[in-house]
Amino acid sequence: MSNPSKEQTSQRDPLRVSLFVTCLADLFRPSVAFASIRLLEQAGCVVEVPGQQTCCGQPAYNTGDYATSVPLARQLIAQFESADYVVAPSGSCAGMICHHYPTLLEGEWRERARRLAAKTFELTTFLNDIARLKRGDRPAVKLPAVTYHDSCAGLRELGIKQQPRALLRELCDTEVKELRQTEVCCGFGGTFCAKMPEISGKMVGDKLANALATEASILAGGDLGCLLNIAGRASRSGAAIEVRHIAELLCGDLDSPAIGEPERQ
Amino acid sequence: MKQTSDTFLENASAALADSGKSQRRDLLALFSPLMRDAAMGSFGQFEELRDHVRQVRQHSLDHLDHYLAQFEQQAAENGNRVHFASDGDAMNSIVLDICQEHRAQRIAKGKSMVTEETGLNDYLQRAGLSVMETDLGEYIIQQAGETPSHIVGPALHKSAAEVRELFLSRHDLGERDLGEIADLVGEARLVLREHFLKAEVGIIGSNALVAENGYSMLVTNEGNGDLCANLPKVLIICTTLDRILPRLEDATAMLRLLVRSATGQPQTCYTSFYSGPRRELDTDGPLETHIVLLDNRRSEILASDYREMLQCIRCGACLNHCPIYAGVGGHAYGWVYPGPMGSILTPLLTSLEQSTDLPNACTSCGRCGEVCPAGIPLPDLLRDLRHEESERKLSPTRWRWGLKMHAWLARQPRLYHALTAVGIFGMHLLGRRRGRFASLPMAAGWTSQRDFPAPQGKTFMQQYSALQRQQQAAADAGKRGGRSTRRPDPRRPGTRRQDATRKAPAGTGKRAHPGGPRGKKPRRRTGDE
Amino acid sequence: MNNSARSEIFARLRHACQSAEAENIQRALPPTDSAPGAPLPSDDLATAFLTNVLKNQGTVECVANRSAAVKALADYVYRHFRSHRLVAGNDANLAAMPWREAGVLPRFGAIEPGEPVALSYALLGIAETGATALQTGKANPAVNNFLSEHHLVLVDSSRLVATMEQAWARIRQEMNKSGRPRGYNFIAGPSSTGDIEGQLVYGAHGPRNWHVILMGDIAATALEDARALAGK
Repeated sequence: MSNPSKEQTSQRDPLRVSLFVTCLADLFRPSVAFASIRLLEQAGCVVEVPGQQTCCGQPAYNTGDYATSVPLARQLIAQFESADYVVAPSGSCAGMICHHYPTLLEGEWRERARRLAAKTFELTTFLNDIARLKRGDRPAVKLPAVTYHDSCAGLRELGIKQQPRALLRELCDTEVKELRQTEVCCGFGGTFCAKMPEISGKMVGDKLANALATEASILAGGDLGCLLNIAGRASRSGAAIEVRHIAELLCGDLDSPAIGEPERQ
Repeated sequence: MKQTSDTFLENASAALADSGKSQRRDLLALFSPLMRDAAMGSFGQFEELRDHVRQVRQHSLDHLDHYLAQFEQQAAENGNRVHFASDGDAMNSIVLDICQEHRAQRIAKGKSMVTEETGLNDYLQRAGLSVMETDLGEYIIQQAGETPSHIVGPALHKSAAEVRELFLSRHDLGERDLGEIADLVGEARLVLREHFLKAEVGIIGSNALVAENGYSMLVTNEGNGDLCANLPKVLIICTTLDRILPRLEDATAMLRLLVRSATGQPQTCYTSFYSGPRRELDTDGPLETHIVLLDNRRSEILASDYREMLQCIRCGACLNHCPIYAGVGGHAYGWVYPGPMGSILTPLLTSLEQSTDLPNACTSCGRCGEVCPAGIPLPDLLRDLRHEESERKLSPTRWRWGLKMHAWLARQPRLYHALTAVGIFGMHLLGRRRGRFASLPMAAGWTSQRDFPAPQGKTFMQQYSALQRQQQAAADAGKRGGRSTRRPDPRRPGTRRQDATRKAPAGTGKRAHPGGPRGKKPRRRTGDE
Repeated sequence: MNNSARSEIFARLRHACQSAEAENIQRALPPTDSAPGAPLPSDDLATAFLTNVLKNQGTVECVANRSAAVKALADYVYRHFRSHRLVAGNDANLAAMPWREAGVLPRFGAIEPGEPVALSYALLGIAETGATALQTGKANPAVNNFLSEHHLVLVDSSRLVATMEQAWARIRQEMNKSGRPRGYNFIAGPSSTGDIEGQLVYGAHGPRNWHVILMGDIAATALEDARALAGK
């Protein structure tokens, strides 16, 4: 967030991170992006947010409209390729960049996509594996019981599994109460949830039931798509569980309303 | 078999409404992955074996013309008659001709998805033959007049109570008791034993065809396939070109993956290799054996970008791990092969027009690709089929244009940010009191199943650029006043640390690469032209 | 019509395949030894084999020699049927067994309805899978494997191999000597099915019981170790 300035050079240079906010955080949950910035800064990074960023092209790509997603992929590459690191608070958007751009694009763009992929990380992966955020780096945070939803793209494309758990342990002294069938999709699936609502409804219903069975009071996750889906189902069925992005939890940001909750008076 | 893939959504809806079947599917979806994981866990070198088998399979497909010719020659030397069938009707008519040549009336059949594909049973029955399925699951659905719901466990959608009802209505039971599942199995054993002994022709499928010596591998747990292969005087093996493997070792290396992936067993009870009719001194076995090799578009698939699909070993792991299959069951897919592999094979073997929903019955969760023992990139192939739907304008216009408009807008960042700022703030004002929308006209699909969470307020980009302007103004004022400045964070006062550069984390130079691409070969799905 | 289908199919395949010389194709084929096998439960081949037979729901016993084998077979049949009747294929190895010592005389041939017990002499025992390999033919009609209620398999410990690859190597040697038999049956358990509600039931179509007698110079503790390893 702060512009990297010349006088900030210490013995070892800080990591310079460009944040890819992701469109869902931008539109529906800005607090996720603010929390991400704060965590990155607590980890000693210098964060900047390229102002022209929009969408990574995933919706069109997943529906098979490759031609439409190509310009968006190129746009994002051009906006972010000068960064040392690119971090996104989403496994599916990071997965899109890391995993799919290099096969979607060709020629020179494929090379540029590969270079970008090599320095692009999902938030918890970056905090845990690269920036190594530790408990001493920041004020302690106390959390109620938390369960965690592993988002599919992050889990399978990027191998995100231990990182959020390790961060919750390290920063919040919290052990995740694991939900049954944690590696099964919540039924979001981008446009899937709107194209096949009944099947999606069954899946998110199962996910919510498994989350409630843990008796955790918060369900956390690393992808807003899944979280909007689960939160929407929880509020529809009157389930008493808060749904929050992992970045907010790690920051101790429990004051703002959880996803789908009314503003507090 | 009549295809109903075009009404997938209606089929799915009906399936979801049947709570008894839905619960059984949930249990299978819970336990099958556990069994598979345990089997793979105790095996240990799953990835290495998968790599090996994939290489062998790819090699076999790369040179399928060579290996098929070799198999044909070896099988003929072993005394088989080898037939080629371009499509299902051709296979059915070859089989019928053989049966009629022998004036056969009674056929005992082992489990074969290929003959489900060609609709062989109906074809033979229409010609007046009696065809008896002998795999317990196939027998049950045949008696019930249904089709398989799973490629490995065809009758897993039926409860024991339903099977009991079925047997009570179909069998002359006398004093026999069907209280337990074991009794049901015993009942089928008793009834089918008669059929085995009387059948004039046995029909089985094949799990692998060994090019080097013409043997055909048959894998079962019940032993019914072996009875079909050994008791009747005539044996017909109905199979497809893509089952060919070069060597005996390749068949059993594949088997290591197949059984663990299919049922979680380390080994099936019966793994047999048959070469042909009985030998001169043999006292048993068929006198005549036929191998019918079906193409049915497989050679076209081989020439297409979906070639990897031919590596499929029909284990059913992708079905067992697919949350959509678990939700709606096999019948909803409306043809022979369900689940992820079926959502690819059905459009390829029938037509994409008849099955446009199937490639969309996928959340891209990737679990099928993760467990596929043949290393088929199932999620990628499904997306490629969606690509084809998009190219051929088979997907709904509303969706295609919606996504194109969204992408167009996202390519005009200033306009995008301005429009989303207005739209999102409006949504926020409408939704702030409840925090969610119970219905949204633009997202009826979403809100039919769940609320739509309201946005928090202004977009991040809006807030962030305001902050930057503030910061810039403060910096300018600071320069004039000579004071150092700190950018305010209105949302989280007092929590920011000033020493953002206090330390550089260790290990900066040696980054792990959880983020990097996994060395995947670029495929056709490039959209970059 | 069949011929035209054949040539059409081959034409399509040639269009889709990489053309190459047979020997180059051969050379490009990954070697069989790059396929990992399942880890053996024990370093001792007999123990590993017995363990996996037990895990496959087989029953086992070990005997030192042919006299003991005959005795064990007689006991097994008597225990289950109060008789000494069993059927075996025309296998020279079985014909040469000292049956009289145990008061058993098998009927040599293919099993008939009403005969519950068949005995086979295994071509090989495979430790990796806990399977017994049987070759079809006069020496072991396949129906004996599949139509009996109790299938007894005698395995000579000198015929144990560790992996399927080793099994094929041995089988190829024999094939080269005496031609290709009609079939091989690798049997690894009593007939079973999970087709009704996924519940495993034994005795689907074939034998309900599969009993393996391992004969020869076997470590005294092999059976005990195998039972412990298999948890039986």
